[in-house]
Amino acid sequence: MDTTVYVPVDGTRAVRARDLTKTYGSGEAAVHALAGVDVDFAAGEFTAIMGPSGSGKSTLMHLLAGLDTATSGQAFVGTTDVTALNDSALTKLRRDRVGFVFQQFNLLPMFTAEQNITLPVELAGGTVDRQWFGTLVETLGLTERLTHRPAEMSGGQQQRVAIARALIAQPDVVFADEPTGNLDSRSGAEVLSFLRRSVRELGRTIIMVTHDPAAAAYADRVVLLADGRIAGDISDPTPESALAGLDALRTLEPNVSTGTTPVVPGAGAR
Amino acid sequence: MTTTTTTSSTDAPGTSPSGVAGSPPKRNDLPTVRYTMAQMRRSAGRLTAAGIAILIGTAFVAVTLLAGNVITRATYDTIAARYADADVLVTTSGNDWREDVEAVRGTEGVVAADAVRSAYLNLAENGEFAYAEGVARPQDDRLMPLDLTEGKWPSERGEIAVPDGVAERLGVAVGDEIDIHRWVQTDPETGDGEEVSEPVRVVGVTEDPYGAYAASGGAVVATAADIEEWGDEPVPGDPFEIAAVLDPSALAGGEPTQAVRDALNSAVVSDGDHSVVTVDEHAQRVSAERTGGEDLVFLVFVLTFAAVALLVAGLVIANTFQVLVAQRTRTLALLRCIGAGRGQLYRSVLLEAAVLGVLASLGGVLTGVLLAQTALFVAPQFDIGVPLPTIVSLTPQVVLIPLAVGTVVTLVAALAPARNATRVAPLAALRPAETLSVRKGAGRVRAIFSALAVLGGSGLVGLGVYLGADGRVDLGLAATVLGGALSLIGIIVGTVFWLPKVAAFLGAIVARTGPASRLAAANTLRNPRRTSATATALLIGVTLIMTMTTGAAAARSTADSTLDETFPVDIMVMPGSSDVPASAVDDIAGVEAVSTVTEVYAADAELPGGEYLYLQAADIEDLRGTVNDESAADGLEPGTVLLSEGQMENLDLAEGDTVDATGTGGETVPLQVVETSNVGLTSFVTLGDLRRLDPDAALAGVWASLAPEAEPADALADVQDAMSDDGVFVTGPAAQRAQFEQVINVMLGIVVGLLAVAVVIAVIGVANTLSLSVIERRRESATLRAIGLSKSQLRGMLAVEGMLIAGVGAVLGIVLGLAYGWTGALTALSIMGEVSLTVPWLDLGVVLVVAVVAGLVASVAPARSALKASPVEALGAE
Ligand SMILES: Nc1ncnc2c1ncn2[C@@H]1O[C@H](COP(=O)(O)OP(=O)(O)OP(=O)(O)O)[C@@H](O)[C@H]1O
Ligand SMILES: [Mg+2]
Repeated sequence: MDTTVYVPVDGTRAVRARDLTKTYGSGEAAVHALAGVDVDFAAGEFTAIMGPSGSGKSTLMHLLAGLDTATSGQAFVGTTDVTALNDSALTKLRRDRVGFVFQQFNLLPMFTAEQNITLPVELAGGTVDRQWFGTLVETLGLTERLTHRPAEMSGGQQQRVAIARALIAQPDVVFADEPTGNLDSRSGAEVLSFLRRSVRELGRTIIMVTHDPAAAAYADRVVLLADGRIAGDISDPTPESALAGLDALRTLEPNVSTGTTPVVPGAGAR
Repeated sequence: MTTTTTTSSTDAPGTSPSGVAGSPPKRNDLPTVRYTMAQMRRSAGRLTAAGIAILIGTAFVAVTLLAGNVITRATYDTIAARYADADVLVTTSGNDWREDVEAVRGTEGVVAADAVRSAYLNLAENGEFAYAEGVARPQDDRLMPLDLTEGKWPSERGEIAVPDGVAERLGVAVGDEIDIHRWVQTDPETGDGEEVSEPVRVVGVTEDPYGAYAASGGAVVATAADIEEWGDEPVPGDPFEIAAVLDPSALAGGEPTQAVRDALNSAVVSDGDHSVVTVDEHAQRVSAERTGGEDLVFLVFVLTFAAVALLVAGLVIANTFQVLVAQRTRTLALLRCIGAGRGQLYRSVLLEAAVLGVLASLGGVLTGVLLAQTALFVAPQFDIGVPLPTIVSLTPQVVLIPLAVGTVVTLVAALAPARNATRVAPLAALRPAETLSVRKGAGRVRAIFSALAVLGGSGLVGLGVYLGADGRVDLGLAATVLGGALSLIGIIVGTVFWLPKVAAFLGAIVARTGPASRLAAANTLRNPRRTSATATALLIGVTLIMTMTTGAAAARSTADSTLDETFPVDIMVMPGSSDVPASAVDDIAGVEAVSTVTEVYAADAELPGGEYLYLQAADIEDLRGTVNDESAADGLEPGTVLLSEGQMENLDLAEGDTVDATGTGGETVPLQVVETSNVGLTSFVTLGDLRRLDPDAALAGVWASLAPEAEPADALADVQDAMSDDGVFVTGPAAQRAQFEQVINVMLGIVVGLLAVAVVIAVIGVANTLSLSVIERRRESATLRAIGLSKSQLRGMLAVEGMLIAGVGAVLGIVLGLAYGWTGALTALSIMGEVSLTVPWLDLGVVLVVAVVAGLVASVAPARSALKASPVEALGAE
């Protein structure tokens, strides 16, 4: 059982998980998507979560963001225990402190890029910080696209709009679930460098799920997940070290893709 | 899915995966059926909502048909009841009816027989009147359909038994004496006659348990001799009936034997046609005649509204299937990829519609039967005067007609969506889900048809209005109704072109109220076709309801001004059996509801041409205060006389002419003619002029106006009570007007009630559309929730969406309804004079509020299901 708590060397912790578990179904059919996860994510850092399919990456992210309810354990955004919030508090948390980027972009087709970007602020009844908006649009290279609707944009452009939407409310943390999954490698590289710039230049905190070692190399740190448990940690990853980390998981665990193997032999994978 | 061999002609040759070499291609629809059933199970919720629309429509039809049956049955029972326990009816020409009755009585096998005779009587007592049918007490009580509740049957002349209702109204009991008034012709040549009155004694009180005389409020029973004297001789040529009770030996299985029939036939003395029928045969024939007449009109009238409801249901169904096909685009494309033929997809959608149609229609018939049966259970608690059957009669028509109609409507509604399903390209399966959409926009044929129908219809309406103004109301109304229907069809067909623009306009206003409203406004515009189809369903009902209320409002206010002229005052007291006594003025003024009174005097005056003019006069100030239209007395001043157009024509006078009137007092007064259109004020002069013509001019009447809050009918009764001893005649134009308005209101209520069914169906359509949108937008709603849309904002968004769709339908329906109502009123009412085109603000407000609230309510269930889906689940959903 891996009980190591990964604490970054410096900086405050933006997001934490404590013995977080999530079980789908019950009895024979029970699937332990997360089987006791303890992990910390530092503020101002770009973290990638990697792991085999079905290892619980998406589940972990949903729980951290308060999109889904945990079976047990706690998840913190800053000092707020997300697992203890009711729906309206969660809504407020999502509005003000958390941003999302989805694999499918999920832009609203009837709105223009600009309307899509400013939507979270409007939903919260606030006013758009024009200066921040300008900075975002400029950084993400969307100046020319503001009046376009999603159908008139490429996948990469749509994903950049989605990133701007996630950042517009200046959230404490942005979660991105395979943001490059639907993009070709060039658009993917574009999006990733924008994500990294958001962290480096705009001071944001980003946690990203990815399958792609090359994508993970853009991050400051990689957290490895296998079978619902933390299985490793790589700082300042390169495509090679990320791939090696993943491969180590695979050799250790031939059945991992089913996600039903109950025990992970061995702890950290490094 | 198993590989399917298809023979569908729409498949390009060679593309169909024909069967294994050697085995002939055989048609096999089973996979289609299995696939269809699986699809239906998946879409059960959505289909149910659409099915309810059809269910309501077919229930409407079923209830109407059942009501028709009940009416027929009740008619039959009432007719049969009149002959009590008689077995046969002998119908003769009635020429020698007395001999016929004797001959029938003398026929072997006849136990008792009597002529069916009646007389119309006017009973009077305690100042109250009651008209009733008088019937002769038959030879045998088995021929008497009424029951005695008190006293005895009349056995001597001058004795009567009255129905309980009449006894109550007249305030009489057994032993009392009352007067019978009747009209006796004194000179058959000129038709002159006089009213005679004679006293009779009430010896019994009856009730009418089988409703034999329900239509005439019961029957007064008297001796045959009295009825013969009071009634008219049988009209030659009208069938004369003799009812007879037969001996059991003359009956075979309840039917008279042929021997008895022959004997009766040959016993008839009167010349001309005669027949012998059983009471059942007779009742069947008469009720069939009526069912072909008035009852058929009733059926057609109500079924028209059922048709409107079904049309709206059809729109809801079409919309639902359109959306279902759109949602299944990916699956359909996938099926095409793996070899499904166009024909198979087409049949699959139609099969789905057929199954839905049959199930929903069966549900509708069941609902209709239950409703009708419940009504029959409840009805006896209200005194409706007609005995109704206790069980609905389930004829094959009641089940089959709604079933067929409901299924056909569903199938027809699904035709276009089914065609769309065949248009899905196999390639669509490979495209990402977000970009999939069913063909947008609308065809040019539709645009042209719509424009032509609207233009042609409007032209017809214009023609109708012109004809109406020209006095040819029947023709005009036909043109207006036809044109209205045509243009409405054009508008409905064309809504897709312009309704979204109205929605966009309203949406832009609504969008200002907040982000959720902005989302809602944007959502309604994403799918213009769906929004317009949904709003159109509501538009139809609202348009028709507004047309009716607007027309009624115009009729009411037009009638108001016409009534002001026809009935210039609220209450008029005129000489009856005696003159109006001077005390009447104070008596009337003493009635609480009366606000002002005017004494009206009258005198005859002779004109130079030798004609006599009956002139009236009243104190000018009193008159102004009493007549409804104060300005009616304008122009009345010393030296003038008010004459109507007709009077002026008869007397060969023109406005402004001066005519010399000579009164009985001898004095001649020159009077200048002033025209008036107010019927009440014709022949009016000033009191001073009248007194100069006849210093002894008598009090000819008293006019009174009522306090505004007074109830006209009650006030009339009060005045009648106050005048009851005086033998004067009291009329209440105000009560008449109130009655007129009540008739309009009741008719309007019935029509609006019938149309409301269509509105209910349309609201279900709104809810259905919203639910479908919610399902379609699951991922989107989840995204919105993920980026900070609160639950109440999501609920609010759907509420605004529902209200917006309903609001657009209602606003447009109201505008159209006003236009149709006004043109209809112009056509129908121009003949009555200036038509006042009013806006029924109250009704309009109610319709709008009801529609918007309905839109709000329609969003409740969809919102609940939208909120139930967890964001994560929805984000994962494809
Ligand atoms: N709604 C659900 N019901 C049942 N089991 C679920 C549900 N959602 C996820 N799971 C299971 O939980 C486990 C973790 O799923 P999760 O989506 O977190 O994996 P993942 O690491 O994101 O995989 P991938 O890389 O394929 O996206 C899997 O075994 C999955 O089958
Ligand atoms: Mg995942």
